[in-house]
Amino acid sequence: MGMTVVLEVQNLSVAYAMPGGALQAVRDVSLSVARGEVLGIMGESGCGKSTLAAAMINLLPPAARVGQGAVRLNGTDMLRLAPAAQRALRGRSVAMVFQDPMTAFNPVLTIGQQVADFVGAHDASLARPDRLAAMLDRVGIPDAARCLGRYPHELSGGMRQRVAIAAALLMQPDVLIADEPTTALDVTMEAQIIHLLRDLRTTFDGAIVIVTHHLGVIAELCDRVAVMYAGEVVEEGPVDAIFHDPQHPYTRALLACDPAVVDPASGRLPTIAGRLPDLTAPPPGCAFEPRCGMALAVCSQPVPRRVPAAGRSVLCHRGAE
Amino acid sequence: MIPVLELQNLSVDLPLGGFLTRGGLPILQDVTLSVGRGESVALVGESGSGKTTLARAVMGLQAISGGAVRFDGKAVAGRDGFARLRRDAAMMFQDATASLSPRLTVGYLVTEAFRIHRQPLPDPARTARELLATVGLPPAIAHRYPHELSGGQARRVGVARALALRPRLVIADEPTAGLDVSVQAEVLNLMADLRRDMGLAYLIITHNLAVVRHVADRIVVLYLGRVVEEGPTAEVFAAPAHPYTASLIAAEPKPDPRKRRADLAIRGEVPSILRRPKGCEFHTRCPLARDVCRLTAPDLRPTTSGRLARCHFADQHQE
Ligand SMILES: Nc1ncnc2c1ncn2[C@@H]1O[C@H](COP(=O)(O)OP(=O)(O)OP(=O)(O)O)[C@@H](O)[C@H]1O
Ligand SMILES: Nc1ncnc2c1ncn2[C@@H]1O[C@H](COP(=O)(O)OP(=O)(O)OP(=O)(O)O)[C@@H](O)[C@H]1O
Ligand code: SF4
Ligand code: SF4
Ligand SMILES: [Mg+2]
Ligand SMILES: [Mg+2]
Repeated sequence: MGMTVVLEVQNLSVAYAMPGGALQAVRDVSLSVARGEVLGIMGESGCGKSTLAAAMINLLPPAARVGQGAVRLNGTDMLRLAPAAQRALRGRSVAMVFQDPMTAFNPVLTIGQQVADFVGAHDASLARPDRLAAMLDRVGIPDAARCLGRYPHELSGGMRQRVAIAAALLMQPDVLIADEPTTALDVTMEAQIIHLLRDLRTTFDGAIVIVTHHLGVIAELCDRVAVMYAGEVVEEGPVDAIFHDPQHPYTRALLACDPAVVDPASGRLPTIAGRLPDLTAPPPGCAFEPRCGMALAVCSQPVPRRVPAAGRSVLCHRGAE
Repeated sequence: MIPVLELQNLSVDLPLGGFLTRGGLPILQDVTLSVGRGESVALVGESGSGKTTLARAVMGLQAISGGAVRFDGKAVAGRDGFARLRRDAAMMFQDATASLSPRLTVGYLVTEAFRIHRQPLPDPARTARELLATVGLPPAIAHRYPHELSGGQARRVGVARALALRPRLVIADEPTAGLDVSVQAEVLNLMADLRRDMGLAYLIITHNLAVVRHVADRIVVLYLGRVVEEGPTAEVFAAPAHPYTASLIAAEPKPDPRKRRADLAIRGEVPSILRRPKGCEFHTRCPLARDVCRLTAPDLRPTTSGRLARCHFADQHQE
């Protein structure tokens, strides 16, 4: 596969201003996504997945501050662009799909009006009804022309998510970022959206980034996976390696407690005792140390990043020995 | 043995409105199921299949248009009957944090059932401490407000609230939705412990089949408000008798990139309850539908393996 990097995150740190001090939501993260690739970002709630995803599309909430680092889209650092240039890129080159598509829609406008406004703001020719209908058809909406005249509440959650994906794809972005795109859906709709996204890869030649805490979605859909803990990417690698040869104790623990992999006859499910550390004062050593069953004395020291194989990285003192 | 909860041909219609239309829109039709003492039964089905409506009907929060609810062998009827049932059966709601009033402390919230049901509560602080300990939360949590809790803590508070009056049955609507796998495992272990220690029975509503496999002795599958399959969990997973059950099992994404599915197990959406398909209601999506399915509705019948399935060809799907 030709690996043209479209999006590159380099040593990025993002913090939220809080009364008790800055909350360090993303800490020194480096990642890249190539054209035609699907990158998954997984980890527990609060570990910084959405903040990282928002930074990738330059859509951070006002309270967020970028401390250091760069987010390069086709080589241009988006974080250093003038606001007008940023807006032009967003939507056109990077598009986002959110967890609950209902909140992304205006309840009093039809689907057709909203999608036309959204894509028309960038390119009026995209807003032609026949092009809109063709794209809705492409994402599996039956009777697409009629769907354009309907209101958001008349569609199921799965259908709304398809419309959101269609609107994003109309712009032919270089990067499509989906934050928990299936979390609000039931199993059958989730399977259909996974299928749709996988299917799109054959024609969409941009990169896709999926944020989710559902391990099954990552395994079904992604080529590469970044595992986040307490704002850091603690392990990264090809999806098969992450699921079949996880090296970081946190990745292993996370995979072990999924009820889908535990034999029901074994009774109790494994858990990960303890909580995320306070991100306003993250420890200088390994952030997972208080919960890690394999901790060593050295683990309270700053952690080196290891590269056990090409395309993999692990943030852990162990394994180096 | 008398089951804790029995539903006999339970039906719920939503009034259509307008005085010219008689009757209503059937949401649940002829649902018969039982939960034994200390048993854990899972109710599954896609969004809109009627799971929450069933839970609300059992709790007396939704009017029943036909059939009966029996608790401990006795028919439940009238406001007083359901008020008594709500003391012996407790509900855990789908959204744990949102179902907790934001202005009340955790300590107050976990003992609220005593006040609602006018039960004696001589030492509220102590009762709160004990309930929190049962669900593995430290006493200091009693002084916190719901927004100061993590998702897992809020869910535990929901369990503690449900346990306050020592119910015999807990109805849990999506008890682990939106939780991380690590926290989900904690909540499921807790529910298993309580079942063992207190002899609790559960009716668990969820569409997470991995959860069902871990917590349920039996599984009941709903489609458009009707039971389409029922049987012991392990048997149903090993060889589903109804094509819908098979599709649900196949739709679940497996956390193993080597087991990716090549094709979709189930296409399309649940039909609208306003336009129920004729014949077998699943025929519009069933991969095995034949001509007879479009004309004749199958009954819920015992299969040769001793389970129940609503499909003309149930015995042929199982090898
Ligand atoms: N707007 C904000 N203001 C202040 N803190 C925030 C804000 N958004 C997120 N945070 C904090 O930043 C940290 C990372 O949050 P983020 O939403 O990125 O996590 P996440 O991994 O997406 O979690 P989830 O799985 O729950 O969506 C958390 O501690 C969170 O409380
Ligand atoms: N008050 C109401 N008015 C109109 N329709 C209703 C009402 N309550 C429920 N319904 C309809 O009844 C059907 C069953 O709904 P119910 O909420 O019980 O489904 P569910 O299985 O719990 O779904 P979910 O998995 O999304 O929670 C749906 O078609 C729903 O639209
Ligand atoms: S650095 Fe140490 S504490 Fe951290 S994950 Fe590795 S072994 Fe565990
Ligand atoms: S009766 Fe026919 S359509 Fe219905 S589930 Fe069975 S095979 Fe499918
Ligand atoms: Mg998030
Ligand atoms: Mg429901």
